[in-house]
Amino acid sequence: MEPILWFGWFRADIIAEYGVMFWRGLQMTILVTTICIMQGTALGLAIGLARLADARHSPARQICRYLLRWPSTVYVSFFRGTPLFVQILLIHFAVLPLFINPADGLLISGETARSLKQNYGAFISGILALTLNSGAYISEIFRAGIQSIDRGQIEASRSLGLSFARTMTHVVLPQAFRRMLPPLGNNAIALLKDSSLISAIGLAELAYTARTVAGAYSRYWEPYLSISFMYWTLTLGLAWAVKKLEARYGRGDTR
Amino acid sequence: MNLLKKIFLPLGLLALVAANVHAQTKELVVGSSATYRPFAYENPAKEIVGYDVDIIKAVAQKAGLQIKIVNTPWTGIFAALNNGDVDLVISGVTINEKRKQSYDFTAPYFEARQLIGVHKDSTAKGLKDLAGKKVGVVTGSTGDDIASREFGKTSPDIKRFESTPVAISELANSGVDAVIGDNGVIAFRVQEHKQLKTVSDPNFPKEYFGIVVKQGNKALLDKLNAGLAAIKADGTYAKIYKTWFQSDAPALPAQ
Repeated sequence: MEPILWFGWFRADIIAEYGVMFWRGLQMTILVTTICIMQGTALGLAIGLARLADARHSPARQICRYLLRWPSTVYVSFFRGTPLFVQILLIHFAVLPLFINPADGLLISGETARSLKQNYGAFISGILALTLNSGAYISEIFRAGIQSIDRGQIEASRSLGLSFARTMTHVVLPQAFRRMLPPLGNNAIALLKDSSLISAIGLAELAYTARTVAGAYSRYWEPYLSISFMYWTLTLGLAWAVKKLEARYGRGDTR
Repeated sequence: MNLLKKIFLPLGLLALVAANVHAQTKELVVGSSATYRPFAYENPAKEIVGYDVDIIKAVAQKAGLQIKIVNTPWTGIFAALNNGDVDLVISGVTINEKRKQSYDFTAPYFEARQLIGVHKDSTAKGLKDLAGKKVGVVTGSTGDDIASREFGKTSPDIKRFESTPVAISELANSGVDAVIGDNGVIAFRVQEHKQLKTVSDPNFPKEYFGIVVKQGNKALLDKLNAGLAAIKADGTYAKIYKTWFQSDAPALPAQ
């Protein structure tokens, strides 16, 4: 292919040559981010509630403390206290081979494991690591959101005869969710950018594509500037979506 | 006027002396990616050691150059050379036509072939047998070039990694069917895993590793070539080769 220069220095032909890969990479980045935002939010809600679990009488009191509060605290501490990059490598090269392994996988073995690893290995590990990591951060957002709701609301709702579960779903969480939206949006943007770390284990997303192009041509401006703009566009889109959601759920606050 | 002379003459002299001292003791920065055992790797004492390191030290000694070896990640190694962070690169860099367009190479210091690492039960005899299989390579390496040419640059069957050990780990965990890489490293890594073996494709051309300098840095290139010729002549080269590869050094072409 003939070199095509934009503005006299930008080799557009290189990007065009790898166009398919950039497109597939963009799709992969969006897919991974979407899955992780959804799973991370669900996991974060569960962990956040577990961290707040308490009961007045035994044995429920002990169950809450030892089976819910402690494990969830350790979990959050570990996933917030270690680098995501390390978690990705740990899960992909150490944890996953334990469970999915053609030779002696605890969960899946044999030919299924081989094809699963080859086609989706990096995808599974990446999703797992990113979900577990963002779940830890999101659980703190949920905890803070729930705790920010005045105790009087819970007391009033319980006095009216609502069960704990209904108090949560109908009274506390709707109000908390409104306050949690900005930090959740922040987290989603961080997650989108963190997905680039999965390229280290060979998942063909945006950063991986840029690395491939840089490796083939020893040129750095073109691939990395291109994906920078793609990431930027995506984060702008996310920020816009969060703003819309805030406006939607904030209607109750405006009088 | 007189006053100006009084001030500027000593200053000028000082600058001259400083420049002279600087030129004499200027340490050349050598870039090497120390994840490339046995060519260059970090030992437990955090020193960068290996075949490449021994070669460049011997060359520098013969050529009367002061050097400092800096661990530079492979993906950014040519960028580091371009922007002057390092003065020369010795990091198992294969001499090829594409790279010769952008950089200058010394005479060869190692004969390299590409080698394929596969599982012991694999029936692959060469590159052609890997069609449709997942192939691991190091981003931007010669193996990447070969795989890209054979299976297409944007083929999803090629999985690119940061370093050979990572690619081999992926192979050992059955994440890929084969890894294509430089003979020295592949052979070393494969013998660490009992379920793997190497396959040599007779169609892979012989290639050579050279020391890289910025294009046009003839002064440094000449010194390095002279040093390299000297260690080849006095047997130092053969001794270093035997230390790292337990076999006699093959004859290398002069250029």
